[in-house]
Amino acid sequence: MVNRKVAKVLTFRYKILAGIFLLLAAGLVLLPKYEKHEGIKPEELLSNAISPERYISTDELANKIINQDPSFIMIDVRNENEFNKYSIPNSINIPLKKLLDEDAIGYLNQNQYDVIFISNDHFYADQAWVLCNRLDYKNLRVLKGGINNWYLTIINPTKPTENMPAEDFELYSFRKSASMFFGVVYPEQLKIEKKPEVKKVTPKKVIPIKKKKKMPVEGGC
Amino acid sequence: MKELEKTKRISIASVLFILVVLIGLLTYKRPKHMYAVNSKTTLENITTENYLISLNEIENSDVILIDIRNQYEFEKGHLNNALNMYAPEILNEENTGILEELKSTNKTIIMYGNTPEEVVVPFMILHQLGYQNLKIATIKNSYSQNKLITQNIVVEKSEADINAFISESIKKAALQPKPTPKVIKTPKKIIPIKKKKKMPVEGGC
Repeated sequence: MVNRKVAKVLTFRYKILAGIFLLLAAGLVLLPKYEKHEGIKPEELLSNAISPERYISTDELANKIINQDPSFIMIDVRNENEFNKYSIPNSINIPLKKLLDEDAIGYLNQNQYDVIFISNDHFYADQAWVLCNRLDYKNLRVLKGGINNWYLTIINPTKPTENMPAEDFELYSFRKSASMFFGVVYPEQLKIEKKPEVKKVTPKKVIPIKKKKKMPVEGGC
Repeated sequence: MKELEKTKRISIASVLFILVVLIGLLTYKRPKHMYAVNSKTTLENITTENYLISLNEIENSDVILIDIRNQYEFEKGHLNNALNMYAPEILNEENTGILEELKSTNKTIIMYGNTPEEVVVPFMILHQLGYQNLKIATIKNSYSQNKLITQNIVVEKSEADINAFISESIKKAALQPKPTPKVIKTPKKIIPIKKKKKMPVEGGC
């Protein structure tokens, strides 16, 4: 009796098995949900983001550009208008909106160069950094302070006052020469060039020779 | 009988298979934090939505404030009714609990730090984890005589026209030489020639 019942169920055995596998296959449909979970873990992203190493200072960047360091590329994430107004020489414009477009990936997802993100301050650049870091792109940096800080430190450095330490003066002279590299001209720079000309113009100075005062002849005794 | 033996094997195998699948599913540890938004959508959201809020708007509305600076700075001075969540600890259990609770109340969460830039990282991470109603306060906090001073600032504002500055500097430098010859001309000083005072010839003794 039992055997017969079992046998009856067992006639459907392949159908039951097929049903179970179909159910499991249906589970695969749910998997694309995990596509959202692309990239590195949020915890890892956070710890990467907190490390101050991801910033590069304007001085370091200027130094790299002047020394023609070939190991990095600069990505300017501001919009085209602002980029056309002023950009750091040799930087590449990828507006934040187009950051994940296919043409941009070639620049961002590679191991060859350091990528330095640039924006006006580092607000947009940081956003770009977080997005790219999540996708596990390597060697990403952010220009600290962005173009505004670039202006304040490199293009128009403030002169240190007398009571500041010697390092500040060294830094200032570096920044000043860097700013000359990027096209700023200082009045004294021209003066040095003009000096030979100036010499020609200078009228011959007549040095008055003091004549000895002739002492009036005094009578002898 | 042979047929039955065969089915026995098949059923044992399939039961084992299903057991393995079940065990696998049950022991699968869900990661604590899961992204709810993928990168492309995040990018779209941050470039289209307005997630910035100024100081005046904060004061006028019923919101939750989160201070992402460290505890020391938080205790030194913070905005009224703000919660402290130090940025590197934003994903720990305590903070996640608080955030989940806030998420269910559906209130706007406003994050602030010393500068808006500091908030970008925690904001971006929480946004990608699926927290909605997040905003960044565009304020700058500084201290003057131990008092917290909060100012509105504009994010990503270009502060200087660098090209103009450079061309100005070139112009200035070009203008500079002009006055120099003038300066050189000036040295012609008129030196009054002192006339010799003729001393009266003194007679001898």
